[in-house]
Amino acid sequence: MIGFNEVLETNAMISQEKLDVRTITMGISLLDCCDSDLSRMNRRIYEKITRLAGDIVSVGDEIGLEYGVPVVNKRVSVTPVALIGGSACRTEEDFVEIARTLDSAAEDIGINFIGGYSALVQKHMTRADRLLMMSVPKALSCTERVCSSVCVGSTRVGINMDAVRMMGDIIRETSAMTADRQSLGCAKLVVLCNPPDDNPFVAGAFHGVTEGDAVINVGVSGPGVVKTAVSKVRGESFEVLCETVKKTAFKVTRVGQLVAKEASRRLNVPFGIVDLSLAPTPAVGDSIADILHEMGLEKAGAPGTTAALAILNDQVKKGGVMASSYVGGLSGAFIPVSEDSSMIDAVVSGALTLEKLEAMTCVCSVGLDMIAVPGDTCAETLAGIVVDEMAIGMVNQKTTAVRIIPVAGMKEGDTAEFGGLLGSAPVMKVNGFGCADFVNRGGRIPAPIHSFKN
Amino acid sequence: MNRTIITLVGKDHVGIIAAVCNYLAENNINILDIAQTTVQEYINMMMIVDIEGYGKSFGDLCHGLGEVGESVGCSIKAQHEDIFDKMHRI
Repeated sequence: MIGFNEVLETNAMISQEKLDVRTITMGISLLDCCDSDLSRMNRRIYEKITRLAGDIVSVGDEIGLEYGVPVVNKRVSVTPVALIGGSACRTEEDFVEIARTLDSAAEDIGINFIGGYSALVQKHMTRADRLLMMSVPKALSCTERVCSSVCVGSTRVGINMDAVRMMGDIIRETSAMTADRQSLGCAKLVVLCNPPDDNPFVAGAFHGVTEGDAVINVGVSGPGVVKTAVSKVRGESFEVLCETVKKTAFKVTRVGQLVAKEASRRLNVPFGIVDLSLAPTPAVGDSIADILHEMGLEKAGAPGTTAALAILNDQVKKGGVMASSYVGGLSGAFIPVSEDSSMIDAVVSGALTLEKLEAMTCVCSVGLDMIAVPGDTCAETLAGIVVDEMAIGMVNQKTTAVRIIPVAGMKEGDTAEFGGLLGSAPVMKVNGFGCADFVNRGGRIPAPIHSFKN
Repeated sequence: MNRTIITLVGKDHVGIIAAVCNYLAENNINILDIAQTTVQEYINMMMIVDIEGYGKSFGDLCHGLGEVGESVGCSIKAQHEDIFDKMHRI
């Protein structure tokens, strides 16, 4: 029988420490929607998404009510659109039509984001991949809910430098086309290396080709819960610290597993994975930087930050894997600057720089996330930042990503306001030395030696 | 058996538990266990109940308990037992 203290502990996690299930994401395969006629394909896409995910919002809310734990977001990810649009799309505008279809399907089922306006070009690009990539600025400026991702590298095949270079221009163009909204389009665009097929978190979510027709993936969160637990072991050894984080991650993940199974049962869609991520929000007390502070750092970015984050990431995984039968997605700690109030504080106070963030991405679950840079940052420099991050992912056999926002008209020290979960971002200093001759070389960076495992 | 945990917190006064119990009895909900503590002027209560015989939806139960809570000046919450079970039992 459940004890009084256990009930109080769980409810304190929910009400005071902001424990929530961050997202129930339904992955939907659009491979069977392919058609040479664009309008027929769009109809099929709309019909399939609304048919399978029509109840995702009501089911998510129902589960939230019954267990008393908020299910914050309900989302959909689809097969990378570049893979399905090839035979119907002759122009960039044709791809934008698919983005509009995704946007209206998302609006009609009541979700805030839909991921999968994506291309996988880590080795080479097809004509469709190129068209989709070129259409991204327009697609993100004329839709509200569509998120785009482009995979430009992997440990297995190396890095497609032509694609990286293109992304420099595409990020700039997306920024310019959404200049009236503080370049918000770039907050919905992510460049990836080694992306997982089952990531439930936008903007990098897409439904991989190895997945089934539909799947339910759930992303848990709970930085506040971990922070509170860590605050109770101040001054204790690393052994005690690690054990504390691990136990807490176990509890948080169990809630995710429960919600995932329930959502899968009620929506009649197979359960995929639980993503054990600590995902912050701009709300006070829902911060990764606060955990790092609680571990003993004056501010995120101080010497020791990379080690602290490495411990946190590792213990979250160790606790989480035992709590769930299937773990996947990104699983680890996210460090998005704009979505974490104490990370913003660390940047504003000068404790955290872009270079330190890059070092932190070697040990966190993703990469350079939600980072605002001056609006005049050139495409070559953006490509340089992207390829550095891709190299970290490729060599370390991990997912890395770049979601960077050159905010039109802003300079270092200004603040961009994106609103809602996306938060606000201080515009960070970018190293002004050039890299154009390097990123303009073209071609591919070969796969690293440790990729040859056969 | 469909076990649900009801928790209540608020300023203590005469009749709080009575009001909750009356509501449960009227709605054919059986109380399996009950525990409470009072710290200074505040009451903290937990009940394990069986809602098998309750004919309405879980949302109705939350709403009904919410109304009872309002009438006695306390916050009352109902949650399926599973969330506690999964979190605290391997």
